[in-house]
Amino acid sequence: MTVHIIRREYVEIVRRKSFVIGTAVAPVLMAAFFLAPVLLSFFVPTQQFLMAVVDQTGEVGAAFVAALDDTLSDGRAKYVATLVPATGARFEGARDGAVAGVRAGSLDIVVAVPETVFEDGRAGYITKEVRNFQILDDLESDLTDIVMRRRLAREGVDYERVASLTTPVRLEMSQITSKGGVEKKDFLTEWAVVFVFVMILYASLLTWGVTISRGILEEKSSRVIEVLLSSMRPRQLLFGKLIGIGLAGLTQFAVWSLAGIAITGMGGAMALSVMASVDIPPAVWLYFVGFFVLGFLLYASIFSVVGSICSNEQDAQQLQGIVTLPMIIPLLTLMLIIQNPNGPIAVVLSFIPLFTPMIMMARVVIVPPPLWQVLLSLALLAVSIHLAVSFSSRVFRVGILMYGKRPSLREVIRWYRLAG
Amino acid sequence: MATAAIEVSGVVKRFGDTTAVDGVSLTVPQGSIYGLLGPNGAGKTTAIRMMLQIMLPDEGTIRVLGEPVERLRTDRIGYLPEERGLYKKMRVGDLLTFFGEIKGLRRGDARERALAWLGRLGLAETAAKKTEELSKGMQQKVQFIATVIHEPDLIILDEPFSGLDPVNTNVLKDIILEYRRRGHTVVFSTHMMEQVEKLCEHICLIDRGRVVVEGTLPSVKARHGRGGVSLRFEGDGSFLRDLPAVESLMDHGNEVFVRLRDGARPEALLDAARGRVTIRKFEVAEPSIHDIFLELVSKG
Repeated sequence: MTVHIIRREYVEIVRRKSFVIGTAVAPVLMAAFFLAPVLLSFFVPTQQFLMAVVDQTGEVGAAFVAALDDTLSDGRAKYVATLVPATGARFEGARDGAVAGVRAGSLDIVVAVPETVFEDGRAGYITKEVRNFQILDDLESDLTDIVMRRRLAREGVDYERVASLTTPVRLEMSQITSKGGVEKKDFLTEWAVVFVFVMILYASLLTWGVTISRGILEEKSSRVIEVLLSSMRPRQLLFGKLIGIGLAGLTQFAVWSLAGIAITGMGGAMALSVMASVDIPPAVWLYFVGFFVLGFLLYASIFSVVGSICSNEQDAQQLQGIVTLPMIIPLLTLMLIIQNPNGPIAVVLSFIPLFTPMIMMARVVIVPPPLWQVLLSLALLAVSIHLAVSFSSRVFRVGILMYGKRPSLREVIRWYRLAG
Repeated sequence: MATAAIEVSGVVKRFGDTTAVDGVSLTVPQGSIYGLLGPNGAGKTTAIRMMLQIMLPDEGTIRVLGEPVERLRTDRIGYLPEERGLYKKMRVGDLLTFFGEIKGLRRGDARERALAWLGRLGLAETAAKKTEELSKGMQQKVQFIATVIHEPDLIILDEPFSGLDPVNTNVLKDIILEYRRRGHTVVFSTHMMEQVEKLCEHICLIDRGRVVVEGTLPSVKARHGRGGVSLRFEGDGSFLRDLPAVESLMDHGNEVFVRLRDGARPEALLDAARGRVTIRKFEVAEPSIHDIFLELVSKG
């Protein structure tokens, strides 16, 4: 009996257009996410900047123009600079003339370097577009470099010597990886990968939970449930539905995981994208599937209670909203957990069964947690799955034959006792 | 008729403070067409759900097809619930195959029978359609097929005639009669008395959770129909009510049904009416189930 329910649920879901699209589109999005940086670099806007360098010093301007060698992705020079020598009193007039050019649109940028630059380190940057910090950075570092060289030369100090003596110290972030090696890691990439895993888990648990709740509601309101119950025990029906829908979800996860392995592998092989620095060991994909299964069993049994005690779509949606609330907590705390994956907040949250799948998933991706914590959280999760399933199957038995007003919590508890 | 198809004894079912079924006992003989009658809310659906073990009784025992209901093999029963519905998004052929399978048919067998039934009811071309694309009448037929696809020994139909058009009423009647011919048992609940008169051999009238009367149709009529007269006339018939021979009178509009007191002869009524009204019809008749129903229910 149960096997027929499983088959029906599975086949009917897998045939749906939404399932096929969802299963196929997610890997495409995943690929886009991981490979986008590579692809984007081919499509960055290729704008040239027309620039005038008004030079009062008579020695900085030429070197500065020569130093502006940044190129666009299509190979053209990013800055097309004209040197305007304007020593002494001519400086202000020349600068104002250039600024008029910016105002008129014939120039994009004016850099005005006064004589005093060697003393107070100030020069002018006049433009209409103040939001492009990249340009400011480029110009600033080039100009600084040149002015510093002049200053040092005036003092008779060797620039190269100073540069090598004042090399700053950089801390490079590294992580012990599953392969036992040490790899360089980048925080942003790390965060993105964790976020993607946790979001997919969240979205899937929510989607499949709602699917089971709606399925039960449909059977209830169409009275198909009575025909089913005249043929099998309520428990067989509920388990058949859980397993059938769970298998459909698992199918989707298997597709996604395989696609994920292929895509990250591809990104790594191409050494082009951010993925080159991402290490997702196979174990993480196993955890991914495993936490989906466990999370599904917990949330699906809760959602099945929603479906079985409601008689109409509005009531069900309200209750689904309430059930969804605890699922948001892992998302809200995700940043904290990524910053401190073995800290007290992360550890405590990962022991709360409603949060375990998502929080543990995040922790596993960042830094493998101590084994005892993984085992303890899994044990707690297993116990609560057991409780949730037995609670829901008892409430289910009574609820599916009750129509009308949504029952209060007290009534639901009475049904639970009644069905004992 | 060796064993009873269903034996219900002393069954009680309560929901909170209300007692839906209050000490019901009844026996459905094997191979009969059995009508479960009663006004809305009398407890018919609850009684049926207990016979199907969808619900468990608080008290009493139920035996179905010779077995205690807990050990019942559900594949021997077909059930048509009162408010009917199907999986909207499923294809008709798949749906019927599924219903056959959960009743123990093998997949291929179930599909074969589904197609045969669809052909027989003129729905052959719908097998690949989704049920939501079918008209209401077609969906009703699909529902009948789902009830009988596994050839159960017993079919239980809850208010099967409500909402059917005349064509589907006949389709269902044919299915019921065919089942009867093959020696199977049919139980249905209804408050449509014409169907009861035409189809049922046994009836059971339930009101407020209790059995009011049970037995074969003729025996119920004999017990409660102490003879009466169907009368059609022109003129003022108000005097009829006061005649000594008349126990009660039911005015149906064009016709009145007069129940006579014990021992009173119909001729006495005819004599009294002659001259006062113009008689168009005078027929000595048994009371209809409809009248018995109304009388017994309003009495209680």
